[in-house]
Amino acid sequence: MKSDVSLDFKFTSSIEQVWHALTDSDTLAKWIWSNDFQPIVGHKFQFRAEPNEWWNGIVDCEVLEIEEPHKLSYTWTSAGETTTVTWTLTQASDGTTQLHLDQDGFSEETKARQGAIEGAKYAWTNMSSQLEKVLA
Amino acid sequence: MVLNNTNQERDVYAAIADPTRRQLLNLLAKADELPLHELTAQFEMGRTAVSKHLAILKEAGLVIARKEGRETRYRLNAAPLKEIQDWVSIYEGFWKERISKLHLLLEEKK
Repeated sequence: MKSDVSLDFKFTSSIEQVWHALTDSDTLAKWIWSNDFQPIVGHKFQFRAEPNEWWNGIVDCEVLEIEEPHKLSYTWTSAGETTTVTWTLTQASDGTTQLHLDQDGFSEETKARQGAIEGAKYAWTNMSSQLEKVLA
Repeated sequence: MVLNNTNQERDVYAAIADPTRRQLLNLLAKADELPLHELTAQFEMGRTAVSKHLAILKEAGLVIARKEGRETRYRLNAAPLKEIQDWVSIYEGFWKERISKLHLLLEEKK
């Protein structure tokens, strides 16, 4: 079954460097949000974004799988919806690193949600701060 | 997602990227229809500034304006918002943006 979100990225850094960026709390804070991540299966942690009028800014997570340096998976609960984020790393023969991201578990209701303004509020939440930068 | 909606969708994003316009939508979501002066009363800015924000919302199709006598009355049209309710595409955009940050971080370390 195809993942809800399925994205591929390529890095010229080594697989160890990419793994470090995905699993080191301080580094994660630089490209996602501040967090108390630890690479331990079962560890519960949070990403904390700036709260705004629509959203408390908190993402609750639990580490599901760690297979250094190839696979990392955690739950991602935010605004009432729980999904699973899975990172898969592969070292290519030329030394580059392929990074694959899957995010699964969006409810059918969420995927199909129509019309109501409530849902849009959550969308604003996630997008607006980034958008304001992009659109400024 | 329909590809030829991309422009309109961007307009909707731009329209709601501004906190004043989000508040206007909120006010209109709670009422059937409101005249400009009632909307203006909710803000520190003048009616010209509020009018400009409403014009942007109108262009994005998010509000519908109707003249009644000397007054323009506004109501919400929520339909375009469903374009941005697609969580899956929201997250795709989110992760792409974050990964480009990660790229920069890793490049710096070299």
